[in-house]
Amino acid sequence: MTEHRDVATGPPDEYVEAEIHRLLTEDPAVAEQGITVVRRERGLVLYGEVESPHRREEILRRVAERFPHVPITSDIGVIRTQAPTEIEELP
Amino acid sequence: MVIRIAAVGDVHLDEDVVGRFRPALEELSGHADALLLAGDLTRHGTESEARCVAREFGGLGVPVVTVLGNHDHQCDQAPQVVRTLEDAGITVLEGDGIVLDCAGGRLGVAGVKGFGGGFAGRCASDFGEPEMKAFVRTTTDSADALGAALRSLDCDVLVALTHYSPVPDTLAGEPLEIYPFLGSYQLGQAIDSAPTALALHGHAHHGTERGATPGGVRVRNVAHPVIKQAYSVFHLGDHLDQAQVSGVGASGIQQSWS
Repeated sequence: MTEHRDVATGPPDEYVEAEIHRLLTEDPAVAEQGITVVRRERGLVLYGEVESPHRREEILRRVAERFPHVPITSDIGVIRTQAPTEIEELP
Repeated sequence: MVIRIAAVGDVHLDEDVVGRFRPALEELSGHADALLLAGDLTRHGTESEARCVAREFGGLGVPVVTVLGNHDHQCDQAPQVVRTLEDAGITVLEGDGIVLDCAGGRLGVAGVKGFGGGFAGRCASDFGEPEMKAFVRTTTDSADALGAALRSLDCDVLVALTHYSPVPDTLAGEPLEIYPFLGSYQLGQAIDSAPTALALHGHAHHGTERGATPGGVRVRNVAHPVIKQAYSVFHLGDHLDQAQVSGVGASGIQQSWS
């Protein structure tokens, strides 16, 4: 992944967003392609769903570690695994 | 004649997920004739993750048929992954098919992982740099293999199983810009080249469940983040007339299953 040079104002938000998005996929500890990174006025919000609470925590940990000065909010859920309550009939 | 198919994709198993699906899977036997997995069974495609898949999806009492997904190729251990799954009795398809004798008839399943490229009018072409031509030819070869496998099966109900999507319909919800990385129209063309009853795929976590090929074959995105349950169940056959397309079980299966 391309490293940003440290400048007084830091990298533009769009590049940070792109780096986080790639980190989520390319970091072996995360490997998630289904997380959306959204820029808000007060920082970045991560949306999506993962297969375990451990993965949700790991995403926040890795992102915070890599971007310690970027305010991150998480709205990541864990996907339910109950048996279906309906079937689909197809002729 | 009814054939009952359970399906899910993108379960991304590793040690931290083992056991989450199992309670729902234990209910499967007796309520489905087969379980189809639409790829991305693992996080990184390692042999140890494949062993997690084998523990979670092995020994269910129904045939389990799968294709691999892009995640299952990440660590370049696909042969070991396939061997581990097959040792657990899971059939792995890639350009071939299988016919299962079910109580309601013969279920044929043909599968490939598939690949990207995009959809009609907005797709990559076999032109230019070697890398671009290799990309498009990977898609074309995969679709050709799927079409040949579908047309080769002698069965009562024919199902196509892929990881990448054959249509844009079931990608609705994904950013338009990444559609070419989520599927390709050639897969749909292959599905339409045979009397396919249903096409199942995964890969598009933010997509939607239902779509159809240009030829009218029903397509279902069964990626786990889309269906938000352990698996979906489809009943296929001649037990309904065409007016009942996509009917949902009137009372649901929770009552009859529990």
